[in-house]
Amino acid sequence: MHKIWTILQSEFVRRVRTRMFLLTTLLAPIFLLTLLLVPPLISYLSDRSAVHRLAVMDLSGELLPRMQAHAPATLQLEAATLPTDTLQAAVRAGRYDGYLLLPASLLEGSGNAELYAQSGLGLSFQIQLERLLNKAVEEARLARLQVPPELVAVLRAEVNLRLYRLSETGAEADGTAFYSIIGYIMAFLIYGATLAYGSVVLQGVIDEKASRVVELVISSVRPLHLMMGKVLGIGALGLLQFFLWGLLLFAGTTAAGPLLSHFLRTQSSQLGATASTEEVLQAAHISLPAIDPLLIVWFILFFLAGYLLYASLFAAIGSAVEQQQDAQGLMLPLTLLIVIPILFMPYVITNPHTSLSVALSLIPFFSPILMVARLAIGGVAWWEGLVAYLLLVGAFIGAIWISARIYRIGILMYGQKPSLKEIWRWLRAT
Amino acid sequence: MLVVDHVTKRYGATVAVHQVSFTAQPGRILGLLGPNGAGKTTTLRMIAAILLPTEGRILFEGRPVGPWSQAIMGYLPEERGLYRKLYVEEQLVYLGRLKGLSFKEAQRQARYWLERLGLSRWRTHKTEALSKGMQQKLQFIAAVLHQPRLLILDEPFSGLDPLNADLLQEIIAELKDAGRTILFASHRMEQVEQLCDDICLIAQGRILTAGPLREIKQRFGQNTIVLEFKGDGTFLSELARQQRIRLLAQSHHRAELELLNGTPPRQVLEAALAHVDELYRFEVTEPPLSEIFKHQVRNATT
Repeated sequence: MHKIWTILQSEFVRRVRTRMFLLTTLLAPIFLLTLLLVPPLISYLSDRSAVHRLAVMDLSGELLPRMQAHAPATLQLEAATLPTDTLQAAVRAGRYDGYLLLPASLLEGSGNAELYAQSGLGLSFQIQLERLLNKAVEEARLARLQVPPELVAVLRAEVNLRLYRLSETGAEADGTAFYSIIGYIMAFLIYGATLAYGSVVLQGVIDEKASRVVELVISSVRPLHLMMGKVLGIGALGLLQFFLWGLLLFAGTTAAGPLLSHFLRTQSSQLGATASTEEVLQAAHISLPAIDPLLIVWFILFFLAGYLLYASLFAAIGSAVEQQQDAQGLMLPLTLLIVIPILFMPYVITNPHTSLSVALSLIPFFSPILMVARLAIGGVAWWEGLVAYLLLVGAFIGAIWISARIYRIGILMYGQKPSLKEIWRWLRAT
Repeated sequence: MLVVDHVTKRYGATVAVHQVSFTAQPGRILGLLGPNGAGKTTTLRMIAAILLPTEGRILFEGRPVGPWSQAIMGYLPEERGLYRKLYVEEQLVYLGRLKGLSFKEAQRQARYWLERLGLSRWRTHKTEALSKGMQQKLQFIAAVLHQPRLLILDEPFSGLDPLNADLLQEIIAELKDAGRTILFASHRMEQVEQLCDDICLIAQGRILTAGPLREIKQRFGQNTIVLEFKGDGTFLSELARQQRIRLLAQSHHRAELELLNGTPPRQVLEAALAHVDELYRFEVTEPPLSEIFKHQVRNATT
């Protein structure tokens, strides 16, 4: 035990001080944020910047003013009465992005509006224009029928469905969508972390074997202790990285409020320049449900046990080969095992309580991903989590036992690329 | 005392080591000799408790070797290797702690030995920055810094320049005088001859000869002659052609030969005096270890 601790420390320290660790710790959240924020930002900016000019031939004589009244600043609509060939020439010359033909029959509820443009104007533009047109037509027709404003108000009324979750303490706002997203994120974090830290273990074992230092080490400690020290040391590295990411996330969300309020100040005057994130979210009528601390505990427990299960098997594979590329073939069964729950994720997230979902989330190789996702969504009996966890613990103890048997033979084997069959033989050797 | 008692190691159908027995005494150096693939490394690994024998037992100080003996054993494997990314002192402290030293003690020993082997100024460098020879010395330190009672050295001098090889020899001799049991595997005969008190000859996983070096050499008798001279050495070829001697080694002014068919030494001396310009050395002696070794291996394979 004492030696496992010594090995753990060394394995941890030698990695935590590398530039690689610093870079991944700092860059991973930036990368993730970029991935999440850039696409909407780009479409937002491109929608903003492009101003479209359309010539409108309004044969109804009523629709254009109504459309102009509702059109955003980026859409300029100009009345045109010219013959179509002149309009076409104007579009070709670039004076307009296109011309819109509004037949009078639109007011009777028939016919189609026609847009002629030289190049595609984009789906979002098309939707925007269609909505604008519908609104104008609706207004004009309501006006023609002399519908009283009260009735218009009734027609315009929208009802939102708000979900509440019944718990022991009463009704809470339901955040199924929110919790599903949390489930997704947690499951993918465990998936990514298991693969990432598992391959760090694999690489560590291969390096140790390739540099031949392993023979020196196992003349001092048992192979099992070396393997466990390494796996645990790298696991501790993973926990630290998660902790640092958590801190960054906390710092980021805390800083987001004042930053957002700074940008939003022009639009909403009731916000102070130093509003906190909650205040900003409240002002925007967004309320995020709270994350149960117990869920965080489950997450860490399942991450650790799942990591131990996979990492010890990764270590066994690493011990059997001398270079990374030789490991590919042996990795395949293991990679399959970890990808299967990812394939089932969409199903389990949308149907968390079917018997298939329950069964899948109890299987040790899948539970770190699927049970965590289900726990995040909620409504899972505590004993389900516990049973899945006990099965997982049993599996990783078995995996460590198996891996240790492969490992102690593998690390002294040089000059051959063992097949799975060969490894099976090692496993049965005494 | 180390006792290797009828030890056999099998890998499936292949026998790497067969019924090997020998003992090594404290305060003496035992040389394990053998051609490549003879089973030396396998034997040493079993003594180091890295491998388990298929049959037989290995006792150190009366107890079967295992984790307990690993703590008081130093091992310099033939295949060298260290953690490339660790700092030099950190590496030694880590390896020392794995042997059960406290951090403080490991650090104290590491600094002492780095000083002793002239590596002090590399203390805070990464191991990968060191030359091969320096890494070799580092590896030697790793084998001795916890003051092991049993020291296993597999080809300790390979890759070292003569100065450093001398330094290591000096340290090994010191450890021997301090009463440590030392095992030394090599196929460099002159080193074995210089260093070892006892030898154990292995070929194809079996022991050919084992015992004190002096006795073994005497067993082969005083039938070897060493000559150093100036002038024409062709008379030696003539004697060889007459089946009176067998040439073991000949250079421009030095020759080693074995007397055959009861040829008296003075016959060689007379022939030499009659032919060479000057005779610097004429010595009747035991055969060199390399001859005994070749002879034994040849006998074993036929």
